Amino acid sequence: MATIGHNNLNAKLVLLGDMGAGKSSLVLRFVKGQFLEFQESTIGAAFFSQTLAANDVTVKFEIWDTAGQERYHSLAPMYYRGAAAAIIVYDITSTDSFGRAKKWVQELQKQGNPNMVMALAGNKADLEDRRKVTAEEARVYAEENGLFFMETSAKTALNVNDIFHEIAKKLPRAQPAQNPAGMVLVDRPAEGSRATSCCS
Amino acid sequence: MYGTQSRRDVAYEYQAQIPVLRPSIHARRANITVKFQDLYGFTVEGNVDDVNVLNEVREKVRQQGKVWWALEASKGANWYLQTHVSSTLKSSLKFSALVNAITLKRLIRKGIPPVLRPKVWFSLSGAAKKKSTVPESYYNDLSKAVEGMVTPATKQIDHDLPRTFPGHPWLDTPEGHAALRRVLVGYSFRDSDVGYCQGLNYVAALLLLVMKTEEDAFWMLAVLLENVLVNDCYTTNLSGCHVEQRVFKDLLTKKCPRHCFNEKCRIYAHLEDLEFDVSLVATEWFLCVFSKSLPSETTMRVWDILFYEGAKVLFHVALAIFKMKEDELLMTHHVGDVINVLQRTTHHLFDPDELLTVAFDKVGSMTTTTISKQRKKQEPAVMAELDQRLRRLNSVNGDDK
Repeated sequence: MATIGHNNLNAKLVLLGDMGAGKSSLVLRFVKGQFLEFQESTIGAAFFSQTLAANDVTVKFEIWDTAGQERYHSLAPMYYRGAAAAIIVYDITSTDSFGRAKKWVQELQKQGNPNMVMALAGNKADLEDRRKVTAEEARVYAEENGLFFMETSAKTALNVNDIFHEIAKKLPRAQPAQNPAGMVLVDRPAEGSRATSCCS
Repeated sequence: MYGTQSRRDVAYEYQAQIPVLRPSIHARRANITVKFQDLYGFTVEGNVDDVNVLNEVREKVRQQGKVWWALEASKGANWYLQTHVSSTLKSSLKFSALVNAITLKRLIRKGIPPVLRPKVWFSLSGAAKKKSTVPESYYNDLSKAVEGMVTPATKQIDHDLPRTFPGHPWLDTPEGHAALRRVLVGYSFRDSDVGYCQGLNYVAALLLLVMKTEEDAFWMLAVLLENVLVNDCYTTNLSGCHVEQRVFKDLLTKKCPRHCFNEKCRIYAHLEDLEFDVSLVATEWFLCVFSKSLPSETTMRVWDILFYEGAKVLFHVALAIFKMKEDELLMTHHVGDVINVLQRTTHHLFDPDELLTVAFDKVGSMTTTTISKQRKKQEPAVMAELDQRLRRLNSVNGDDK
């Protein structure tokens, strides 16, 4: 379990991405260590929490797993408002889902919490033979946009804990200021050297 | 692919006795979680008390069935239809029609027996009338005409079929998938503004379980979307859903006689302090019409009333869930705790009467007219918000070029 210490951090984390990219599966793998071949489609959003220790801090993630269908887009601000972190998920076997992921990144850069830690997850990495999006392409995109990138597989558990761990390490140690309800325009990337690639 | 239950021939006999679990005294003491099948074949996990509640519910359903049969025997098989045609009846018959209407409303709030649901829902919801306005072969023609067509909606439907109540002994079989697919695809062509919206898969699936035929399930879906629920609940930007959420929040601040002060509901104020937006949970309730949150028979009981009294029922039920757990919710300190309380509550509401008693006796009355007025009031704000959002998004995408 988490280390004993007085450094506890609550962090709201939101998962965004195309329908069927595997957002719920990633969460289920991270929170319960399970994988279901057919995960119920999420409506609105589902909530989970999970605690992990990173360096000297215990991070309690409050995770919002959102619905992926395009028309649910209009509900998304409710879930990413005030989020300290976001995982934008795409399916490596679908170029469309990668396109959707880029749109989410743009939206968060403009509307999200300016200190938000953003991760790009190329999920379903186990389906190598059906791959449509190369790791290189995604890595370059991530670097250009100040995200960190990993390819994951909720099915095999590849990099699932790692991506959350990496986020936990990157979280600003003070609670991020809550994003006011209105529109906040920020020039990104703010802190320069956030881009790292963790996919091996 | 379809789990271990695939190809099992499942006949839906709602009246059939599902083996009653009788946990041993040891199980009771250990407070063991058991898995069991509910009235509609869903596997649920619960403790011994839940099993007992469910058995009591089964018994109540049987009793309620007797009441309905007795009425059919004394008043005629379609007695409840006369409540709707009262205006065309001769004045001498009006009184009996009124009596029937009062009896019916009370009866429906106590529940329609599962075997009578297909017939009663179909008549009282307006589905029968809707169906009667088109040629007899409408549904078959539609199904045939759209077979093999591929649209964004059909792709999304195909994607969701195995993800709709996975593990259900009929829905999660090739036969169940095919039926659900025809209903959803057919509807996506009937109303291209709706097309397919996630959430409808769960609603249509439950309709298939209740209605005797796929065609009737289709018409129930049509009447639900076109006449019962708020307009544009499922269209492109879910604007109707946004409207309902605002109306709900408004009601929540008002409908709490016990703990109110300063005209602001204490529970609402508390949740606001926690930065908990009630839409975080209520969106799913409304879009899935509770099918994903409440146990199946409880959902069906909500739908019994929904199809007779209209969408105001959804507000009654949503408010009741908050009301039932008011004290517990007031003691929460985190958003996560609030959600856990609400989820635990909804998932364990095996006794429909427990919920419906609060919904109708403790929430206070609402009329369809007041709800309509509330919606009208909220519409401009929703439209402005969605419009502003769209413009912002376009500017985001514009930067890309």
